[in-house]
Amino acid sequence: MKVFVFDAERCNGCHNCQVACKDEHVGNAWPPYAAPEPNTGQFWLRVLQREHGQIPMVKVEYTAWLCMHCERCVAAEACGSDAFARRDDGLVYIDPARCTGCMDCVPACPYEAVFANEEAGIAQKCTGCAHLVDEGRLPHCVDLCATGGLRFGDAEDFACELADAEVMRGELGTGPRVYYRNLPHLFLGGEVWDPQADEVIEGARVTLAAVGGVEAAQETDDFGDFKFERLDPGEYRLAIEAPGFKPVARDVVLEESTYLGDFPLERA
Amino acid sequence: MAEQKTVVKTTGFVGPNSASDPVEIDIADGRPIRSRPLEYAKFATEDLNPWVIRARGGEFKAPEKSQPSLFGIAWKQRVDSPNRILHPMRRVDWDPAGERNPQNRGKSKYVRISWDEAMDILTSEVSRIKDQYGMNSIFVQSDGHHQVKIVHGARGCEGYALDLLGGYTLQARNPDSWEGWYWGAKHMWGQDPVGQGMQTNLFKDVAENSDDVLFWGCDVNTTTWGGGGQGSSRYCFFLRDIGVRQIYVCPDVNYGAAVHADKWIPVLPNTDAALQLAIAHVWMTEGLYDRDYIDTHAVGFDWFEYHVMGGDDGIEKTPAWAEPICGVPARRIKALARSWARRNVSIAHCNGGSFIRSTYSHEPARLEVALLAMQALGHPGRNQLKFMEFGLFGLDSQNPLPRPKFTPNMHDIMFPYHADKRESFVTEVLVPEALGGDYTPENPLTWYGVTCSGMPVADQFDLKRYPAEGCERIHMVWTDAPKWVSSWNGGNEFIDAIRSDYIETVVAQHIWMEDDCLFADLLLPVNTKFEERDIVCDTVSGAFSAVWLEEKATEPRGESLSDYEICVEFCRRMGVLDQYRNGEPIDETIRRGFEGSGCQWFTSFEEFEQNHGYLIPIAKNWEEDAPGFLNFYRDPEAYPLSTPTGKIEFYSQALAEHFPDDVERMPYPRWIEKGPWHPDERLTTPRAERYPFLMVSNHPHFRLHSQYDDAPWIREIPGCKVTGPDGYAYEPVWINPADAARLGIGDGDICRIFNDRGWTMGGAIVTERIMPQVVLQDHGARLDPIIPGVADRAGCNNTICPKHTASKNCCGEVTSGYLVGIEKVDVFELARQYPEAFSRPYDPETGTLHLQAMTADAE
Repeated sequence: MKVFVFDAERCNGCHNCQVACKDEHVGNAWPPYAAPEPNTGQFWLRVLQREHGQIPMVKVEYTAWLCMHCERCVAAEACGSDAFARRDDGLVYIDPARCTGCMDCVPACPYEAVFANEEAGIAQKCTGCAHLVDEGRLPHCVDLCATGGLRFGDAEDFACELADAEVMRGELGTGPRVYYRNLPHLFLGGEVWDPQADEVIEGARVTLAAVGGVEAAQETDDFGDFKFERLDPGEYRLAIEAPGFKPVARDVVLEESTYLGDFPLERA
Repeated sequence: MAEQKTVVKTTGFVGPNSASDPVEIDIADGRPIRSRPLEYAKFATEDLNPWVIRARGGEFKAPEKSQPSLFGIAWKQRVDSPNRILHPMRRVDWDPAGERNPQNRGKSKYVRISWDEAMDILTSEVSRIKDQYGMNSIFVQSDGHHQVKIVHGARGCEGYALDLLGGYTLQARNPDSWEGWYWGAKHMWGQDPVGQGMQTNLFKDVAENSDDVLFWGCDVNTTTWGGGGQGSSRYCFFLRDIGVRQIYVCPDVNYGAAVHADKWIPVLPNTDAALQLAIAHVWMTEGLYDRDYIDTHAVGFDWFEYHVMGGDDGIEKTPAWAEPICGVPARRIKALARSWARRNVSIAHCNGGSFIRSTYSHEPARLEVALLAMQALGHPGRNQLKFMEFGLFGLDSQNPLPRPKFTPNMHDIMFPYHADKRESFVTEVLVPEALGGDYTPENPLTWYGVTCSGMPVADQFDLKRYPAEGCERIHMVWTDAPKWVSSWNGGNEFIDAIRSDYIETVVAQHIWMEDDCLFADLLLPVNTKFEERDIVCDTVSGAFSAVWLEEKATEPRGESLSDYEICVEFCRRMGVLDQYRNGEPIDETIRRGFEGSGCQWFTSFEEFEQNHGYLIPIAKNWEEDAPGFLNFYRDPEAYPLSTPTGKIEFYSQALAEHFPDDVERMPYPRWIEKGPWHPDERLTTPRAERYPFLMVSNHPHFRLHSQYDDAPWIREIPGCKVTGPDGYAYEPVWINPADAARLGIGDGDICRIFNDRGWTMGGAIVTERIMPQVVLQDHGARLDPIIPGVADRAGCNNTICPKHTASKNCCGEVTSGYLVGIEKVDVFELARQYPEAFSRPYDPETGTLHLQAMTADAE
C-alpha cells in the first residue's frame, strides 16, 4: 500500500509541493485518473500555515494537506455515480469519465480535499499522481520536495517511521494513508532574569506540570530562556527556581503556543 | 502519439556565467508539460565523486537531484503571461520626426507596428543621435537579474552592437546586494571582489566546528533564486540534526527564521551597529576577546577601542546605551556577547535587507568584521558564511561547498563588459540624476567608485564624472533591463527623469509589459529562455557545476525574438554584422562556447550535444582546501589579506588619506546616527514624528523584484498577496499587532505607505513576525502607477526609498531601513479620486493587465 509521509521537521514551507501539483495537473489531462485542474483557487495539495507564539519566540508551522487516500473514503460513499476508484496500491481517484458532477462528495469529505470543478462539471482531487506511479515515478509534489518534508512509497518501507506518526482527524476512523511526523503541537516559553543586576539567569530550573498529567523540567539556557515544546492544549502549572532567588509559579491555560514574557526574579 | 522530449533549463538568476537550479522539462507536441528536478546521475560521464560532509555523527550529501525553488517550477507559466509583449509597438504620441511628448511617457498608449518599421526607427534614431550628439549620448541599461542566457543575451547585446558604431554610455553594474561589504568591509579585510568573507569549505567547517551560527539579516529560504535553491535550507536542517544552534538576528521572523531559528533576537532595522558596538564593549570590559590575535592579525584596534569606550564622542557604547537604539534588552546583549565569546560562532548571510542595504551600511559590515576579528576570525568554526551565489564570479574562494574539478566559463562567446575601459558610464544608483539632472561637461555629476561591481577597492578612490569629458549628455535610452523603477532606490525620481525633455528616445526590449516599459517610446518583443537554444554555465547551484545545452522548449510567442536576434538585425542594417560575432549562426556560437568552456578536455561536443550537458566532477582533493580564513588565522604573514597592511585594518589609512573630511565613513567603524547625507532617517530624528515606522524591505520572497509578480500559482500562496475589498491583490505589508491596534488597522486592511518621497500601498498582515515600530514590505513589486512619479498601487516601495546613496562617498543603494508612515485607506474612495489608475483592466490571477491597458488598439 502506498503512503505519503509528511515530516514537519523537514518542511521549510517552500510551497514547491503546492506549485508542483499545479505544474502537473493544470492544463494536463491524465486519463483515467484526472482531467485538468483549474489554474487557480483549487488545491489538490495545499500547504497550510500556522503562526506560533509571540515576539521573540515565533515560529511558523507548515503542513502539506492533500487527499488522505483513506482506507474508508467517506467522499466515495457519498458519490452517486460510482466514480471513485481505489487502486490496488491504495490510491483513490475520481474517474472524470464516470463523474456526473453531482458534487455530493465535495462536502462529504471530512478533509475538504475534494473540489468542485464547476466549469468541467466534475469533482476532482489528488490522484497521488497515479499516472506517474504507474511509470515507477514519484508523485510530482514529492519529486520536487528537496528537503524530505514530503515522501511517498510503500508502507512497509516506512514501517518504523509510521509507528510514531500521526494521522489527521484519526478519531474519524477513516484510515488515512497520509502520515504526519514530528508535528510541533504547541510550545510554551519565557525568559528568566535578575532585574537587580540586569542579567539573564542561566541554569534556572523550570518545571511544567500538566494538571493531572506528566511533568517536564528543563534549565534556562545561556539567554535565560526556557521553551517547552510539543505540548497539547490544557492546563499547566509552571514553576521557576533559581538559587538565591524567590521561586515563581504560574498557572497557564494553554490554547495556543505562548511566549509568557520575561520573569524577573526577586532576590531571596 | 504526442511527440515527446525533455530539455534542460536553468532557472536561477544571478549573472551570465552563474546559472543555477537546472530542471528537466518534459515537452509534448511543443508544449511544456512539467518541470522536474534534474537527476544528476543521468548527466555524469565520468566519476562524479559526489561530495559527502561528515560531521558530529551526521552526513550531508550532495543531492541526487537539483533543488529548484518554486520559481523554477512556475517558469513555464510566465511564457504565456497576458502581459507578454508579442509585437513591436510605438507610443502613439511619440513621433521621431516631430513631437515627442516625453511628458506623456507612462500615460499615453501604444500602437502595434511592424518589425520593419521598428528597426527603421531604431536605426535612424541611433544614427541621428550619433550625428547630432555623439554615441555617448546613447545610454545602455543592460543589467540586473536577467534570465541567465549566454548567446541570446540579454546583457551586452545592444551594447556590443553600439560599440561597433563608436560606443555608448554604460549603466555600470552596482554591487547591489553587497552594499555594506563593498563600501565598508573591503576597507577592513580586503576581500575583493565584493567584500564578503572567504567561503572555501565553510559548509564543512561550520558543521564540524561551529557551536552557533548567527543568521544576521539572513533568510536562507528567500534567496533560493540566487543559486542553491532549497539546498541552503537542507543544510540548515542538517545543522539542526547535528546540534549547531541557529540564531536569527533581524527585525522580522523571515522565512528562514520561521522554520530554522532556534532563537530570534529582534533588532530594529539598521541599528545593528549599536548592537555590535555593545557586544564589543562587553568583550572589552570583561576581557572576552582574543587580544593576542588582534596584536598579530590586526592594525588600528586602539582607534576602535577608543570609540567603543567613548573616547572620541564621549559616549561609552554600553549595552544600556544600545538598548533603546536597537531594541534589544541590555541583558540579552550581554548574554549574546558572553555566549559568543565562549563558543565557536560563525555568521551567515544571504545579502540584502536592512543590515546591508540601508543608510551607512558600511558601518554594520565593518563592525561585523571587527567582531569576527575579536574572536579570532578564521579559527575553526569562526568565519562568515554565505548561503547563496555559491562560487560567485567563478571563484572557488566564494564557494563554501566542495569545489568542482574546474569552473567552466563562456568567456569565448560572451560580449565583453570592460566597464573600466569605457569612456562614459553612470553608476546604476545615480541613473535618475544622470538622465534628468542639469549636468554638463562643465558642471558634471560626480561620484566615487563603481566603475563596475567587483572592481578592486582602489576604484572607490577615483572620482568619476558624467558627462564624460568632451561629451554631450544622454539623449537616448536603450534598455534590455527595463526594471530600474522596481530595482533600485529612488523609483519616483527615475520616473521623473525618464520623462524629462532631455530624453528624446526610449527603446525597451523586453518580454513583458511592466515597470520601465510603461515609459518607453519603442517596445521590442523578446523571448523567454524557453523559446531559445542556448548554452549556459551552471556554477552557483551549490551541488555540482555543469555546462548545459538548453534546447528550445517551445516556439517563440507572437513576433518575439531574442535580444541577440534583435541586435543581429540592427547590425545587419547598420552594416556591421560581419563584426558582430562574425555574423556566425547561433549553433556555431554554441559550439565555440563549448570549445572554450573547459569541458572540451573531457567530452566531445557531439557527446555534449547528445547528453544536453556535461556535469563536472567534484575535485578529488576538495577536503584539503583550508576552510575560510584558516590560513590567515594560522599565519597572517604567509597568508596576508589584500588590505594595504595585509592585516585586518580597524583603522584604514587609505580611507583616512582619500577621505580625510568624511564624517560618515571614517577610517574606523562607528555608530552613525545621522550625517550630511542622511540627516533624518532614524526613529530618533525629527521626520519620525511624521513617518514613525522603519521599513524593512528584504529580497522579495515570492518574486525576484517584479519578475513572477504575475505568476498565478505563486500569487495564490497565502501571504503572497492580500486581496482588498476591490478585488485587487495588494502587496502585503507586515505590521505588529500592537501597532496595528493603535492605528486601527486590521488584518487584511488596505493601507497607504508614505513619506515625503511619495506613497505606495499594501495589504496589512497583522503578525508577531515583525517588531513594533517596524513594517515590512518586500521591494520590487511590479509598478502600477497611480500618479507616475508620486504614487503607486502595487507596493513598489522602491519608489519611496531614499534617493541618497549609503553615504556621501559611497554609491550604495538604500532600499531598506528608512522612515515611512502607514494608514488604513478606503480603496473605493481612492478609486473615485484616481479613476483611471483604479480601473485598469485586471485579471485576478495575474494582476493588472498593463499590456491591455497601454495598447491603443484595444480601445
